[in-house]
Amino acid sequence: MNVKKTIVLFVTVLLLPVLGWTKLQVVTTTEDLAAITREIGKDNVEVTSIAKGYQDPHFVDPKPSYLLRLKRADLLVVVGLELEVGWMPPLLQNARNSKILPGYPGFLDASDGCNVLQKPTGSVDRSLGDVHPLGNPHYWTDPENGRIIAQHVAAKLSEIDQPHASQYDAGLKDFEDKLSAKEKDWNKLVESFRGVKVVTYHNSWPNFAHAFGLTIVNHVEPKPGIPPSPSHVRSLETQIQREKIPLILVEPYFDEKLPAKIAADTGAKLLIFPPSVGGVKEIRNYFDLFDYDLKLLNDAVGGKK
Amino acid sequence: MRTRFALIVSTLFLLIPVWALDSGGATATPSNVGSPYLISSPSPAPLGGGAVSALQSSNLLNPNISVVGWFQGEVGHPHDPGQTPEPVLQLKETEIGFQSIVDPYAKADFFLSFDREGAANLEEGYITWFHLPQDLALRTGKFRSFFGPFNRTHPHDTPFAIRPLSERNFLGEDGLSAAGAGLSWQVPIPWLFVNLDAEALRPPVVSDTPSFDRAERRDLLYTGRVNSYYDLTEQSNISFGGSYAYGPTGQQLNGIGTSSDTLHTQLYSADLTYRWKDPARAIYQSWLWQTVLLWSKHEIATNSTVNSRGLFSWVQYQFAQRWAAGGRYDYSQFPTDNNSHEYGGLVFLTYSPSEFSHLSLQGSHFKRSDEVDENIGYLRIVFNIGPHGAHPF
Repeated sequence: MNVKKTIVLFVTVLLLPVLGWTKLQVVTTTEDLAAITREIGKDNVEVTSIAKGYQDPHFVDPKPSYLLRLKRADLLVVVGLELEVGWMPPLLQNARNSKILPGYPGFLDASDGCNVLQKPTGSVDRSLGDVHPLGNPHYWTDPENGRIIAQHVAAKLSEIDQPHASQYDAGLKDFEDKLSAKEKDWNKLVESFRGVKVVTYHNSWPNFAHAFGLTIVNHVEPKPGIPPSPSHVRSLETQIQREKIPLILVEPYFDEKLPAKIAADTGAKLLIFPPSVGGVKEIRNYFDLFDYDLKLLNDAVGGKK
Repeated sequence: MRTRFALIVSTLFLLIPVWALDSGGATATPSNVGSPYLISSPSPAPLGGGAVSALQSSNLLNPNISVVGWFQGEVGHPHDPGQTPEPVLQLKETEIGFQSIVDPYAKADFFLSFDREGAANLEEGYITWFHLPQDLALRTGKFRSFFGPFNRTHPHDTPFAIRPLSERNFLGEDGLSAAGAGLSWQVPIPWLFVNLDAEALRPPVVSDTPSFDRAERRDLLYTGRVNSYYDLTEQSNISFGGSYAYGPTGQQLNGIGTSSDTLHTQLYSADLTYRWKDPARAIYQSWLWQTVLLWSKHEIATNSTVNSRGLFSWVQYQFAQRWAAGGRYDYSQFPTDNNSHEYGGLVFLTYSPSEFSHLSLQGSHFKRSDEVDENIGYLRIVFNIGPHGAHPF
């Protein structure tokens, strides 16, 4: 084989992955946004998420390999509200892709227009823990916010890929129809445990509680991002016993040893409670997320609140 | 070489606005370039809604300000030939950072540091155009050079009470930092991250950086670096790189004293970093191992070169959400002396109450070049206030 053929072969091998880039390339920061985008974009988009569903989205390493995905992205969808502030800025700065910068057509902050809870009204400092000054960023756990995200994603896809706009509109209609049908089922299911008191590990669930009628009375973390101290654990155990709180919900990426001990000490039930698509293998899309979590709740306290 | 480089840099500067506008696209509306997604800090938007007063409006355009304090206590008997022993207790460094988006095309970073006596020093001040065509980025100003994986890191951001011997002996107590320009290029390989950096800098003086010394006004220090990154598994990855620096190290008068020759140093460095972290338990456990080798060819006279070398290798194990422990081995000769060397190590145990403060107990043992054993214990406390920065990687 002569030198010229060797070079042609080498370059071809290098460029093989490019052949798969005929679809619109979408990168999302979380699996939830990826799942919604896939529902809208269907076969016209190739969607990858940076954070996995079983990963704490506050703490993702800004690996250079993510730059390779961001560099060729046509659209970047972020949760926003500074959820990704610890890892997205260096990735975005170094991705060398002007299309997906904030303010440009290829950037979408999914929090726009969503019902964001717990926006601080006074001064904010770090004595409050790792607090988010723009509001609680776990808003996708309310399916009605999922609807708003889907509407924004559909509009954005239509804007940057106009030839397929009608297909994105159809994808959005399918998503909304399915979501409306699912919401009827979910609302029926939650009637048996509406108002149940729960303790959660991190402050990840205000939107979920708002949507499905849970009452969150405390957290295992004394403040967001701060590990529990012995005095906080003692106080929490007293509260759980005094108020007969039946459930402790723990996100899959937190160590369950301490919550398990609190559960054992107090008689509460511990549930590993995924907040994201991909948190466990059974949750493959956005609808599965609520099917799975609400079934967990129903199995644990349905009719026993 | 110097003229050609100057021509290339000048052309790049002239073309920056054109490229930046072009790369943004005709329909781009960069209304939100001050977003926290470009700078690692909270948006200064008013909380709780309401009208934005004129004063607040001007605050929106202020740069993000952060302050880092580094307090250090020492016990033991320092024996570092040529160095003044550090005080038993000191606020070793205070650093104030100002960072902001300049315009739709560039970002600027300034870092002022104050030593224990309160003397101010502009540690870095540079502008970066991140989004030039052909995957290029251009940085100009005064900045820490991309020589090796360690030099870019500000000393308080490393886990160590003292810098590795080889870094100190060849690049200086504060590392290699100088005014100049640097180009960065991501090689367009779809499945492998490879980055090339090239810099032209004003050479530092020998008292700051022992390997180099500016001789003539026109002299420049050139550096180059290639680094790559590869995910071995979802949990583990490696980075590897090579660096090169070529610059003046003084002058030698010729025999009759009417002219002089500039002497030069060449530095070579190779590095390997291995990281392990389970994403499903990212906040609880991680490993990092890094080794950096360094070789020096230092002209001490025309046709007379000293070849010397150094290395350091360190490991850090995070064994709980707030706890990490580690150790480092150092070996180093000197730029102008390869007949003597020093070696030793450092161990540390660090507790981090939050992401924003770190308390570390450290101990070092070094066999100095004059065969004297040096043993020192350190208490190192680093704390910062200001916007949330990017997590270290």
